[in-house]
Amino acid sequence: MFIILKNRNKLLGMNARNLRFIRPNNPKKAIRIADDKLLSKKILRKGGIPVPKLIAKIRNFEDLDNFNWNKLPNSFALKPTRGFGGEGIIVVYGKKKNRPDAWIKADGSIITIEDFRNHIHNILDGSFSLSGVPDTAFFEERLRLLKLFKPYSFKGIPDIRVIVYNKVPVMAMLRLPTRESGGKANLQQGAVGVGIDLASGVTTTAVQGKKSKIVDTIPNSRLSVSGLRIPFWREILELAVKTQEISGLGFLGADVAIDKERGPVFLEVNARAGLSIQVANQAGLQERMERIEGLKIKTIKRGVNVGMDLFGGEIEEELEDISGQRVIGSIERVKLIGRKEKEVEVEAKIDTGAGWSSIDVELAKQLGFEKTIEAYENLNIKYEDIKDLDKKERWNIFKDIPHIESTVVVHSSHGTTYRPMVKIKIVIDRRVIYSKVTIINRSHLKYPIIIGKRNLGKFLIDVNK
Amino acid sequence: MNPNNLIDYFVSQGVPQESILLILMLPVVATLVAFFRQVVGIKAFGIYTPSIITFAFYAIAQEAGSKGIKYGIAIFISVILAGMGTRYILKKLRMLYLPRVAITLSVVAFVILSILVVGGYFQRTGLAAVSIFPLLIMITIVEKFVAAQIEKGNKTAFILAIETLFISLIIYAIISSRFLTAIILEYPWIVLLTIPFNIFLGKWTGLRMTEYWRFRDVLRKM
Repeated sequence: MFIILKNRNKLLGMNARNLRFIRPNNPKKAIRIADDKLLSKKILRKGGIPVPKLIAKIRNFEDLDNFNWNKLPNSFALKPTRGFGGEGIIVVYGKKKNRPDAWIKADGSIITIEDFRNHIHNILDGSFSLSGVPDTAFFEERLRLLKLFKPYSFKGIPDIRVIVYNKVPVMAMLRLPTRESGGKANLQQGAVGVGIDLASGVTTTAVQGKKSKIVDTIPNSRLSVSGLRIPFWREILELAVKTQEISGLGFLGADVAIDKERGPVFLEVNARAGLSIQVANQAGLQERMERIEGLKIKTIKRGVNVGMDLFGGEIEEELEDISGQRVIGSIERVKLIGRKEKEVEVEAKIDTGAGWSSIDVELAKQLGFEKTIEAYENLNIKYEDIKDLDKKERWNIFKDIPHIESTVVVHSSHGTTYRPMVKIKIVIDRRVIYSKVTIINRSHLKYPIIIGKRNLGKFLIDVNK
Repeated sequence: MNPNNLIDYFVSQGVPQESILLILMLPVVATLVAFFRQVVGIKAFGIYTPSIITFAFYAIAQEAGSKGIKYGIAIFISVILAGMGTRYILKKLRMLYLPRVAITLSVVAFVILSILVVGGYFQRTGLAAVSIFPLLIMITIVEKFVAAQIEKGNKTAFILAIETLFISLIIYAIISSRFLTAIILEYPWIVLLTIPFNIFLGKWTGLRMTEYWRFRDVLRKM
């Protein structure tokens, strides 16, 4: 309860969105342009923003009567010019075989010219427009799905919603069409919204539908929603900020899709961005926007940098992506798996000064090497006794000890000794390392295990962590 | 001037006290609807529909007693159900907006008429006693309903209708309380307080109650 009261000022509600952000930042004229898909498309194209190609417009019933249906390609999208919430959009994927008057829709059903005529009739009547006023309809190129997104989306094409305020991208969400949403990337209709880490473009948490139900996997699959890296990330953010400049809206939701061949393509501008993006990202918009309020951002690149820096995840994520290495601290909790799958979890000291990793005698016993240790102690061999033997002779002495892998010379304050080595599995930060470790008496030391250089090849060490 | 005398003066000029009361109630009702939208987060069909439904309930209760309110609810729900049913029939015809609404209105009118007749047959005289204007008002709200159906879909329209019913009932209960009626007749100026209150509502940027619910997970996890 207390947390809720503390956090309520971070979250953007309807009242604050309308009064504090839309009203002062979005001039009427700019909103009018944004609500008119055809007009905003034209303006954006002139501004150098890639948009889907326009195929044809139908402005009135006369246009509809005289429309030449033969000039439509095999696949296209039909949209109401002033539609909202994805209503009234029809996408066809191909022509029906042997039927010049029919196409196939996303769900596999057939749509004929007659159906189209009726639908356009409704559009012209204003059935799908914002305030029910008469509208126009247009056909445009259908964007092709990126292979990467294929397993994630049902029928339609996913798009990326970026909220831009004061030339800074503040939050982003990937919207995936689902069966429930009928292949449309609209949350109100049941699509999945996935939060995106602004710095890396990697997806995080997700919600589905109007009720913002939190989901971990793509509906009807076991595919995790998080961890997907969105391609062209920086380009998408730059596109969104550039659109803000052109559109004249101070606070907007920019929708970008990625076409298989054309790359990022701008879909539409939204003057009244929805609030569910906060649930998808598990973060508050108001807090973020307050942080950048009043900043003077001169260039698009600068705006994108600010957004990435302020609202991106930890920088180490980035580092890991660059080097393919995970960042760990100097003390790290690790899991050891010994004989017969015996598991122990301990805190380990990450020691780049050591070669091999070594574990304490007691720890080795817990991992199922009691017999090894017992047999080794029984031999009671001193370093001096065997140091002049050659390798093979030496190994002959130890080779009968159960489960021993090899031995190693250890120089320490107690003098120099031979120590047995055994093979175990070490799990560090979800990575499994299969390695030999020495067994040493570390009972007087703080950590029962040190991880040496030989096992640290896949990691970067951050001493502050 | 003594406000008491003001009301008395109006009455002496031939303005019925009931009319004065209802007119003075209007700002209160509108303010309450605004409050429900901005602070509670219940949308309903704008401000006109819940207000007018509230007054329809009020009028029904005036004639049929406070038990009459159940007839009001029954009629409201019948109107909405008839509106939903008609959409299914008309959907296939694909018609222009106004003729479509006109047909829906006709269907609703017939449904309400038959309900009245059936009610009379079963000796439910209270239903038939409901005067015509509240009935007509209820019937015409089907236009708002059809508009919402077209713009936002059947489900949303239905939710909005239920919200409208809910708000209207609560506001009806508030304005029909003896306490409020007495206060307004005694101190008519008090109605002017709705203006500063609405200014406050108009500048209010806090979260709506329904948003606390909608964002409960985020609020906890942030």
